[in-house]
Amino acid sequence: MNTQDLAYALTQVVHNFGAVAVTAGAAGGRWTQAATEPKRQRRLQWLVLGGWVAQILSGATFGGISYASFGQFPEIHGIAVAALRLKITCAVAGVSVSTLLLARARAWNETQRSHAWSALLGFAAIALCAAAFLRWFS
Amino acid sequence: MNALRSAVIIVALGLSSAAFSEQGPMTSPAEGAKEAGLVTITSPAEGAKVGLSGIKVAFEVTQAPKGDHVHVFVDGEQVAELRQLKASYTVDKLTAGRHWVCFRVVDKGHTPVGAEKCVTLNAGNVPPMVYESNKPESKKP
Repeated sequence: MNTQDLAYALTQVVHNFGAVAVTAGAAGGRWTQAATEPKRQRRLQWLVLGGWVAQILSGATFGGISYASFGQFPEIHGIAVAALRLKITCAVAGVSVSTLLLARARAWNETQRSHAWSALLGFAAIALCAAAFLRWFS
Repeated sequence: MNALRSAVIIVALGLSSAAFSEQGPMTSPAEGAKEAGLVTITSPAEGAKVGLSGIKVAFEVTQAPKGDHVHVFVDGEQVAELRQLKASYTVDKLTAGRHWVCFRVVDKGHTPVGAEKCVTLNAGNVPPMVYESNKPESKKP
């Protein structure tokens, strides 16, 4: 078995589960918050934060594997670069908002929490769309 | 707590993959050179005089087990991505003068594997001083 392919595949597994966590976690938080007890809400907040951290680490690992194998980073241009920048921006925003939500949720009212969840869901959706462009335009 | 545990596991997986990638090159430099492969430009010949449009450049990649596809460059600008390891690329238009067409082998993740070949083309019927006015060093990718 090719070591690089294995490394790319394992990293992709983490990246895919990260994508599921940030999207499903934010959707769950957004649409069930009124009916969910605070303890469960907090678990969802941790799940989304963990998902974004996993996205960043696994994304960086893709580049790390390329560099470790060939001493160079992947060669991407144009739309792919724009899509990658968008993904990174969403990930940074996702980590920031989910951290803020974890720290401040108790002091916020339902509307404020709902806005935070909506923003997180938006970042996840944009990152997912950007990932498709990064994949097929690189 | 299950969600928290899941998040911790996801992060741990990410960290372990990151640590895996920091173990250094997965192949030794000698192995790497052997595995990089070889690109041959079968036509036109190096320095060939060509027209200003529809210039077909044929190449073949051999001995590149890690190579997946090829990125094509004209004068240092990536112009195409070819999914074959033996094919040709047609340069639509060139200005009169010296130009460079390069084929770079990359892996599935678009990382150059170290195999690359360029060919110099002299486009149009122009005197030699026009060729010399172009700077090859700054134009090659």
